[in-house]
Amino acid sequence: MTDQPILKRREAKSTVAVRVRNVSKSYPGVRALRGVDFELATGEVHGLVGANGAGKSTLIRMLAGAAIPDTGEIEIEGAPIAFDDPRMRRGAGIAAIYQELTIIPEMSALSNVFLGVVPSRFGMTDRRAMRRRFDELSRWMGLSIVPDTRAGTLSVANQQMLEIMRAVQADQKVLIMDEPTAPLGPFERTRLYELIARLKQNGVSIIFISHDLDEVLRLCDRVSVMRDGQRIDTRRAAGWDKASLVQAMLGDVEVLPGRRRAPAAAAEILGVQGLTVPGVVSDIAFSLAAGEVLGIAGLVGAGRTETLRAIAGDDPASSGRMTLDGRPVAWPRSVREAIGHGIMLAPEDRKRLGLVLSRPALVNLVLADLGAVSRFGVVDRGKRRAAATALSERLGFNPGRLDADALELSGGNQQKLVLGKWLHRGPRILLLDEPTRGIDLGAKQEIFRTIRRLSDDGMAVILVSSDLEEVVEHADRVLVMARGRQIGEFAGPEASVERILNLIFAVEDRAVAVGVPA
Amino acid sequence: MSNIESVATSPPASGQAWRERMPGLIRVYGIVLTLVLLLAVVAIGNPAFLSERNVLNMLSQWAPAGIMAVGMTFVILTGGFDLSVASGYSLCAVVAAYVGQDWPPLAAFGAAIAVGLACGLANGLLVAVVRINPFITTVGSGFIIAGVALVMTENAVFMVENPDFGILGTGRWHGIPYSGMLLILFLVVFGWLLARTPYGETIYAVGGNYEASRLSGIRVRAVVASTYVLLGGCVGLAGSITASQLNSAQADLDPGIIFDVLTVVVVGGTSLSGGVGAMWRTAVGLGIIATISNGFVLLDISPYYQSIIKGSIIVAALALDTGRTRLVRSAR
Repeated sequence: MTDQPILKRREAKSTVAVRVRNVSKSYPGVRALRGVDFELATGEVHGLVGANGAGKSTLIRMLAGAAIPDTGEIEIEGAPIAFDDPRMRRGAGIAAIYQELTIIPEMSALSNVFLGVVPSRFGMTDRRAMRRRFDELSRWMGLSIVPDTRAGTLSVANQQMLEIMRAVQADQKVLIMDEPTAPLGPFERTRLYELIARLKQNGVSIIFISHDLDEVLRLCDRVSVMRDGQRIDTRRAAGWDKASLVQAMLGDVEVLPGRRRAPAAAAEILGVQGLTVPGVVSDIAFSLAAGEVLGIAGLVGAGRTETLRAIAGDDPASSGRMTLDGRPVAWPRSVREAIGHGIMLAPEDRKRLGLVLSRPALVNLVLADLGAVSRFGVVDRGKRRAAATALSERLGFNPGRLDADALELSGGNQQKLVLGKWLHRGPRILLLDEPTRGIDLGAKQEIFRTIRRLSDDGMAVILVSSDLEEVVEHADRVLVMARGRQIGEFAGPEASVERILNLIFAVEDRAVAVGVPA
Repeated sequence: MSNIESVATSPPASGQAWRERMPGLIRVYGIVLTLVLLLAVVAIGNPAFLSERNVLNMLSQWAPAGIMAVGMTFVILTGGFDLSVASGYSLCAVVAAYVGQDWPPLAAFGAAIAVGLACGLANGLLVAVVRINPFITTVGSGFIIAGVALVMTENAVFMVENPDFGILGTGRWHGIPYSGMLLILFLVVFGWLLARTPYGETIYAVGGNYEASRLSGIRVRAVVASTYVLLGGCVGLAGSITASQLNSAQADLDPGIIFDVLTVVVVGGTSLSGGVGAMWRTAVGLGIIATISNGFVLLDISPYYQSIIKGSIIVAALALDTGRTRLVRSAR
């Protein structure tokens, strides 16, 4: 098959596809972007890197018309976007592929591709034209998706391909990809790289966001680094290396060096055998020593969160056997029982599950331990403030913000509150589910510093994070999960991101080969 | 301790210009301003408004609705709702009058409060444990309770001959009505309970974020159920006061009182989505609604306009509340 002009050969109106000028944007409690200038040349693949919370997402949401800048302007091929006209924004020729896909699972692959732009003849849906175009595009992209399949039954990789196909079919000039490779296996990644190269040949300009710096350096023509809502630097890919990228991303934040300790000789605090959540997790077993940090690694859907919830008593359907200090105890059936055992969970979604956003930081900090700051059934305000101030110091939380509603705080500060809520209670075993999601590097370091101090004091910690490097860096031992099962374990020095991924994808690929649904 | 991000994200609170803080302050205290303006308008229009007699009469007149609004504040703060209040109020009044015919007044009022508590407990268990939507639950239980009152009375009026029965509703101490004193006592005591005790704190937490509260080890179901029981008690007392004021009771006492109760709480600024509000707001809301009702009489304005004005105020209060809720949502 030759590369026939699937995409209309267009005369580039400008050598600059997108120009962002001095754009700023604030949300309550966060200045997400501060005077950002950014330029995407026509037909280039432009890498955008930065730590969580650096402002990448806000920038691309703005380009895609999902957010409106407070100040500044954005030009597409020299023409400014009128932000007060949603249709204008949609027609601007920019498509974004977010981490959360916008595929409608109940609809067919075909309908998903033509969502909102159904070709018609005499006012009737022209399904024949749709199919013809779908086949053309499939061939061009090297896909073999049956057009009538329900999109929800496709793999994540193929759903992503459908989204790209939707953009290509709508003849979008600019494609934004937000961590497109995160959920993909090695083979699917290669396929995506090839497609990106081909799109580029056809004059499509691409903004490529990824945490995998090797991949960014290999794939992109130029790379921009963002930090704290500002664009720090842009260079040709050859002008960067991994070290200089990391340096630019972090700024002068002191990075906590990882600690990989040999297996601890300390006594076992918690033993879990046969942990099962019907249909989700089966037969997990591990042992946890005092002062140990156990990481659980796995892809989305591996059952990590469910495992933590079961241990924390938050899943009545779960079962298993538990020992505390070597003595068998009843499997916790409620959060309160688990708390009674000294097991406490800082949940994944801090806004939905962790905090009462409408209440001040101060109140959130002592929420789980109101009895301790009360006397004769009355909250002792002095005692409460003293307790909260002491906690703030341990957490690196600015005590001047104690009276602010949790709502107004940044993600990092909110996460500190979630941790602090339990610290006051003094857990023996702390379960952390994605404690660093969406928070900036400075806060991340403070959180790990706190975790380390706690584990030094003998608290046992189970850490779940999608950021594998983080797990490898900070866990003494890593338990690897895939598809609800425990598939391996690495003791401290043996753990590496590569080894963990290889292990996971070995299981995933086998499952795909024998047709186990995801 | 170094704190990198707080420097970047926290605006200096003290340095903030007044102009910037004004909208926030108005949202928080605007309701007080409204009350003051209303008081001024009515007082200037008719100086009799502020006379001792008028104020004390208003207190006594608004005691039943106000006491129920105290309980309703608790329920709404947890994100709940109770529409069965009007039927409960009638039933409790009927029970008080029924028992009061043959027994001492104290037994009569005690029985009414006990019935109120029982109705509240039933609502609380259905909402918190069985987890039926509070709106549906209390519409349903309201019908049942109204039905029980009708069956009891066979739609007759229960008259109480015993002169002592009127003490709770009409008795005064140095001219101050007992019922008004009870209203103020309830506002203060339960306001204090809400603002100063761990129990009050959990009410805000449960209403603000049910899941986060549960995961923090708070007994969320018990907290939610308890607010309905508390409201039930208030309804029992309110029914007793009215029965005592009238020396009688019937099954369809005042179905419209539910709107007064809800209006008082909502106008004060306690959010229907839960977690945001305060007892002082209910007190201010009560002041506003009472002033409007009384002002219409004193200023000799047609009562037909009263429902238009009241309705507009409710809608305005809800619009404010929605704006606030949207602000919270957009930040999530």
